[in-house]
Amino acid sequence: MSAGDLVLDRVFHHYFSAGRRVDVLNDVSFRVGAGSVACVVGPSGCGKSTLLGLAAGLLRPAGGSLTWDDAAVRMGPNQHLGMAFQQPGLFPWMTVRQNVAIGLSTRGRSRRDARAIADEFLDTVGLSEFKDAYPSHLSGGMAQRVGIARALALKPRLLLLDEPFAAVDAFTRLKLQQEFKSLLRLNRPTVVFVTHDVPEAIALGDVIVVMTQRPATVQRIIPVAREDRDRASPAYGRKLAETLECLGVKSENEES
Amino acid sequence: MIGFVRNRVLLPVVGVLTVLAVWEATVVFYRLPPIVLPSPWAVAATLADLVGTYAFWRDVAVSLYEFVAGYAIGVVLGVAVGLLIGEWRVFRLTVTPVVESLRFIVPFAWIPLTILWFGTSFTGKIVLVAYAVFFVMVVSTARAIAHVEPTLTRVGTMLGMGPWQLALRVHLRAAAPTLASAARAAAAIGWIAVVAAEYIGASAGLGLMITNAATSLATPVVIAGMIVIGLIGAGVSALIGWLARRQLVDR
Repeated sequence: MSAGDLVLDRVFHHYFSAGRRVDVLNDVSFRVGAGSVACVVGPSGCGKSTLLGLAAGLLRPAGGSLTWDDAAVRMGPNQHLGMAFQQPGLFPWMTVRQNVAIGLSTRGRSRRDARAIADEFLDTVGLSEFKDAYPSHLSGGMAQRVGIARALALKPRLLLLDEPFAAVDAFTRLKLQQEFKSLLRLNRPTVVFVTHDVPEAIALGDVIVVMTQRPATVQRIIPVAREDRDRASPAYGRKLAETLECLGVKSENEES
Repeated sequence: MIGFVRNRVLLPVVGVLTVLAVWEATVVFYRLPPIVLPSPWAVAATLADLVGTYAFWRDVAVSLYEFVAGYAIGVVLGVAVGLLIGEWRVFRLTVTPVVESLRFIVPFAWIPLTILWFGTSFTGKIVLVAYAVFFVMVVSTARAIAHVEPTLTRVGTMLGMGPWQLALRVHLRAAAPTLASAARAAAAIGWIAVVAAEYIGASAGLGLMITNAATSLATPVVIAGMIVIGLIGAGVSALIGWLARRQLVDR
C-alpha cells in the first residue's frame, strides 16, 4: 500500500427497500494502484454505483474497509476527490460555467481562477459555446459532459466516474475517450471508471474489474496491456472475448 | 399582439363587467335600498370620496404596515425553522409534533388571545400575521428540503461542501421555486389575517374602517373598503409572485 492507492477489502453493503433488505455488495476486494485506471464492468444494477459512493465517502460500508492514502476513507467532503455521477446532477440555478467553477471556489480557489479553469475544461469537453447556458437547455449527453468537466476541473487525486459517457453519442464518445486519456497523463490520478461498454473499458483501463450479478462480488480482474488496446490487433479481439465471456456473452454471438 | 389584447385586456374586462352588471341588475330588479346593497355607481362614488381623505390612507398604511412587518417575520422564521426541520433529524423529531398540532389552530382562533395579550395595538396584528405566515412557510420549506434531488446533495459533498454549505447553497436554493409559490400563498393568508384581526379589535386599519362603517350603516363605505382590501391583497400577491419569480425561479 502507498499514497494514491485505493484499496477495497472485503466490502459488504446493503440497503433497505420497502422494509426488505437488499444485499448489494457481497465481499468485494480489489486494489487500484496510484495513478492507474480500473474499469468496473458488470450487469446493470449490480452495485457499481454503490461501489463508487463508498469509495467517495458518500456512503458508509456495512462491512469491510476502504482505504485511500493508507487511511480509512473518510465520510463527507474529501479534498482529494473528483466524481462524475450517472445522473449529472447539475445545479439548475447555475450556468454551465458556474456549475463547473463552484467546486473550485468551495475548495478555496479565487473566483477568477475558478472561472478560467472552468472555461478550460468546458473547452476540453467541447462545450465552450454553452458556458452561459442553463442546464435545462442542455441535452442529456451535454449535461453529462459538464459533469465530467466539473470532476476533471478539480484536478483530483482520486477520480471516480459513473458511466460518464453513457448518454453521449458514439462519435463524441470516442473523441472524449481520447481527450480523457491525454488528460489523465497530465495529472495521473487514480481512477475508478464504471462502464457498460467493454471496448471502452479496454481502451481506458489498466485493469478491468468484472463484477457478478447482485449481490455483487468481483468475478475476475483482467489486466490490460498496451497492445490489447490496438483495435486492429488480435490481442484486442482476445481481450474483448475474454471479458465478454466473463460477463456471460459467448464469443460466437459477438461481432469482433 | 391581438392575442395579447384579447387575453390580457379584453377577457378580464369582460369578467369584471359581468360581475358589475349582475350586481347592478340585482339592485334594480329587487329594488334594494342602498343600505342593503348600493349600486356599483354609488360605491364607486364613495370610493372616490374616500381616497381624498386622510383617514382612509391612514387605515391603508396601518394595515399594510402590520402586514409587511408580520409577513417578514413569518417568512424568515418559517424558512429558518423549515430548513432546520429538513436538515436536522433530532430537530425534526422534536419540532414536527408541535408544528403539526399548532398549524391546524387557524390564526383566527388566536384573535381573542392576541387582543387579551396585546390589546388593539399593532403588535397583536403583527404577531397574528407572523403566525399565519410562519406555518405556511415552515411546512412548505421542510417538505421542499426533504424533496431535494439526492444527487444534488452528493454532488455538493463531492465538491467539498460541509453540512452548512449544503443546507444554504444547495438545499435552500434547490427549494427556492417551491418557496416562492409558498411565499405567495402565505401573503394571501397573511393579508386575510390582518383584516380579520382588525375587524375584531383594532385602533386603526381597513378592517376597523369597515366595522365602523357597518355599525353606522354606511353600506357603500363597507363595500368600498372590501374592494380596497381585495385590490391590495391581489396587488401584494402579484408583487410577491413577481419578485420571487425574478429572484429565485430557475431559468
